[in-house]
Amino acid sequence: MNTFDRVDVAGPAPPPRSNGEVVFEAPWQQRLFGLTLAMTETAAVPWETFRTRLIGRIAEDEARPYWESWAAALEDVLAASAMLSTTDVDTRRNLLVQDTE
Amino acid sequence: MSDDAMATRIEALEELLTEKGLVDPETVDRLIDHYTNRVGPMNGAKVIARAWVDPAYKRRLLADGTRAIAEFGFPGPGAACIKVVANTPEIHNVVVCTLCSCYPRSVLGVAPSWYKSPAYRSRMVAEPRALLREMGLDLDARVQIRVWDSSGEARFLVLPLRPEGTDDLSEADLAELVTRDAMIGVAEVVWSGP
Repeated sequence: MNTFDRVDVAGPAPPPRSNGEVVFEAPWQQRLFGLTLAMTETAAVPWETFRTRLIGRIAEDEARPYWESWAAALEDVLAASAMLSTTDVDTRRNLLVQDTE
Repeated sequence: MSDDAMATRIEALEELLTEKGLVDPETVDRLIDHYTNRVGPMNGAKVIARAWVDPAYKRRLLADGTRAIAEFGFPGPGAACIKVVANTPEIHNVVVCTLCSCYPRSVLGVAPSWYKSPAYRSRMVAEPRALLREMGLDLDARVQIRVWDSSGEARFLVLPLRPEGTDDLSEADLAELVTRDAMIGVAEVVWSGP
């Protein structure tokens, strides 16, 4: 199996001082990352709980883009702790989509 | 899912969490800024440079990474349990997280994309020497490679070898030589002279 072509090693290894590296491919990924940290670092969601979900989501579909697995894992945690249901998110998403149409 | 669809979904998520008082958008902004712009790998580089010039600090760092790193008093959330593994002329260490994306964020910032890719996660365990070579690090066959799998309990940071000929460099100058990739273990620290 040669899966190496999926590893992006062509990017430069920047010196510590230059921090301009792109680690997010889209703004929503960065937002999702920040949201997750806000939830875990304020202890509303223990990091370990999130991590377990993330491992599960990655394992369930290795081909799914990484940050989509991350998003699914965060939704899992929120739904499991009754903070936010998938239906809540679906409803709000539909409202947002209508707003832009 | 398309980027647009994902963006809308995350926007919905943030709105709802904000309305419920579970997150503060300013906190989210601050965390993003902290990890992407401030931490970067610079904190880790300072730690490595200190260990190179101060043998007592190096001993403390290898004995208890979390505590020795805390001596720097980096702003922001505290570090999860960090274990520092030192390269020697005979042993090269490299870090992977086979299950998810555990990474010593407090000292290295946000993990690069390739670190999270399925190919890196599986191949660094199965054939580290070949993968390191493809990534530009061709180790002598006599050098033993140790692969450290990060977990929720331990996040690893590699203490690279100090390059030869750098005896006259200051701690600050040394820190500038230390790259993120060297602290993950997929590169060596190089010095090309003044």
